[in-house]
Amino acid sequence: MNGLVLYARSRALPLTLAALAGTTAFAVWSAGRLDSYLDPDRRVPVVALAPLLASAVIGTSLYTASAELDRTAVRPWWPRRLAQLALLTALAAALLPLAVLGHTETFGPPAMIRNTLGCTGFTALAAALLGARLSWLPAFAYVSAVYMGGHGAHGRAATVWAWPMQPGAERGAWVAAVTLFALGAALYAAVGARPEGPRA
Amino acid sequence: MTMVARRRAPGVRKGAPHPLRTEAVRGFAPFAGAVVLVTLGVMLGSRAKRWQGDWGATAAQVHSALLIILPLGAAAGCWQGGRERRRRTEELWGTAVRPPLVRFLAAALPLTAWVTAGYLVAVAAALLATGPYALGGRPHLGLLPGDAVALASAALAGQVAGRVLPTRLAAPLLAVAGYAGLGVATMGSSGHGSPLSPVFPVGDDQLPVWWQPVAMAVWTGGVALAAVLAYAARRRTAALLPLAAAVAAGALLVRTGEGLLHPDPLSRHQVCDTSTTPAVCVNARYAKLLPQVKAAVAGITGKLEGVRNLPVRWADRPGGFHPDEAQLPMVTPVGWALVRGRLTDPREFAWEAAAGLGRHAECEEPRVMELDELVRHYLAPRPYESYIDGLDAHGSRAQRAELRKRVAARAHLASMSGTERRAWLSAYFATAGSCDVTGVPQL
Repeated sequence: MNGLVLYARSRALPLTLAALAGTTAFAVWSAGRLDSYLDPDRRVPVVALAPLLASAVIGTSLYTASAELDRTAVRPWWPRRLAQLALLTALAAALLPLAVLGHTETFGPPAMIRNTLGCTGFTALAAALLGARLSWLPAFAYVSAVYMGGHGAHGRAATVWAWPMQPGAERGAWVAAVTLFALGAALYAAVGARPEGPRA
Repeated sequence: MTMVARRRAPGVRKGAPHPLRTEAVRGFAPFAGAVVLVTLGVMLGSRAKRWQGDWGATAAQVHSALLIILPLGAAAGCWQGGRERRRRTEELWGTAVRPPLVRFLAAALPLTAWVTAGYLVAVAAALLATGPYALGGRPHLGLLPGDAVALASAALAGQVAGRVLPTRLAAPLLAVAGYAGLGVATMGSSGHGSPLSPVFPVGDDQLPVWWQPVAMAVWTGGVALAAVLAYAARRRTAALLPLAAAVAAGALLVRTGEGLLHPDPLSRHQVCDTSTTPAVCVNARYAKLLPQVKAAVAGITGKLEGVRNLPVRWADRPGGFHPDEAQLPMVTPVGWALVRGRLTDPREFAWEAAAGLGRHAECEEPRVMELDELVRHYLAPRPYESYIDGLDAHGSRAQRAELRKRVAARAHLASMSGTERRAWLSAYFATAGSCDVTGVPQL
């Protein structure tokens, strides 16, 4: 086996890919039950929750069981970390919009892609600061709080802080999500997931 | 000699602290409590306008927050439940002398307590934030015991799930399944949720029956306790007892259905100021709003002195008003016309109050609408009326003619003597409730 396959196995990537496929299937199934043809706002739960679940799947795949051993490697790790995060995010961003085709101005594929970027960036940040296995928690707490509190929030500031709930064409929400992804990807690529000791 | 042998060396502690204390102050449990507190803080803070200053809205808001806090608490419990697997200390625990149930509860109870405490602290903060702006009534605490037990049960059941499900994705999956499941159970496919959902919808002016928190606590707590006993008890059949209690409480909740909630008795009462004509009444839930309302409509009541055929009072009753009453503009739900105990736009409020006096709601004849507009303009001109006039001034020929007629009628009414105007207004108000305005003199 070459290094790439070993790397993929050590990060449980086959299981991660299966989980992403399952997430997509769940999103497609639930979006189909929402009867959102006339009212795209009904898609908001799917547009908010599916990227959250995908980011949890990606975040937990950033865990390495041999953090100390990894640090002894001669080659730099950041290209592998960045490639793993970017490829998984790209895959999720390509798959999840299948659940919400059409209505691009409101809650369609652009909003789903933006939320996938934002949630994954948030989770990657948390993986670097908290550890990969618990990286889902901050994004879950924030997005669910905004989901309940951000309904009907107006104003320029709300388009930024309530980015997961904004329509796809809202520029402030895109800026917030892309910034989160850039920050998360950069920090994770630079330092990796926080080593989790035996007391995690 | 014995005394010397028992004396401890300086600096040595009196034995290990109790495991519950260690679990409560270290590890994930305090962090989980903080996460619940911050999540609720962000949620409640971002929509403070919609609840601050109204006890009913505050109670409804912290109750509906369970929609996200229950799954979050269950996920936090699930993470805690998977701890021994992550640490690979399951076998080590197997060698302990304590029974499995005690070992489970030592790890589970502190997290359950922290998550519940996080929720209760957030609720207390919300009540404190509402207090200074409250306009009447008392804090609605009826739902709180049932909600707190439901959250504790979710955290406890989540820990059983964490012990049973050997995957690192168990916690986020449980959270998503919780969001989706609670959403479906609460809203339902037809907008009517199940009374078994701990997040069943409650209106701002509704209160639960006195036994609802008890039944909800037994229902949710019974299910969680049954899961714990089935997982960790020496005799697993013991789980049947709480399960039976949960089923009985659940059956009671389902059978009662919509009867679980009743209207706030306070909302049936009015608080009135009868020094003006019409008198000004507000709902007793907002009794302290009366001075603001009276000030907002002072211009109208001043102009109506001596006018006959007026409604007896402005009233704010749930489910309609009497024929001799005018509807006071709605101030609920809070967050629009009423924010933090203040009317946001008293001039708009006055215009709506003036519109309620005519009581021509079901008339669409142009003459009636013209008269209504004229009287509203005289009593309480709308803030942006001049803007609409400006649009008509630059509009089509018909719009310009309409505007000229309107302005002439306004000028005529304004130029009348006091006695003439009172007589004209009395004739206008005599047509209330009917669309026949032939008795009103042409201007």
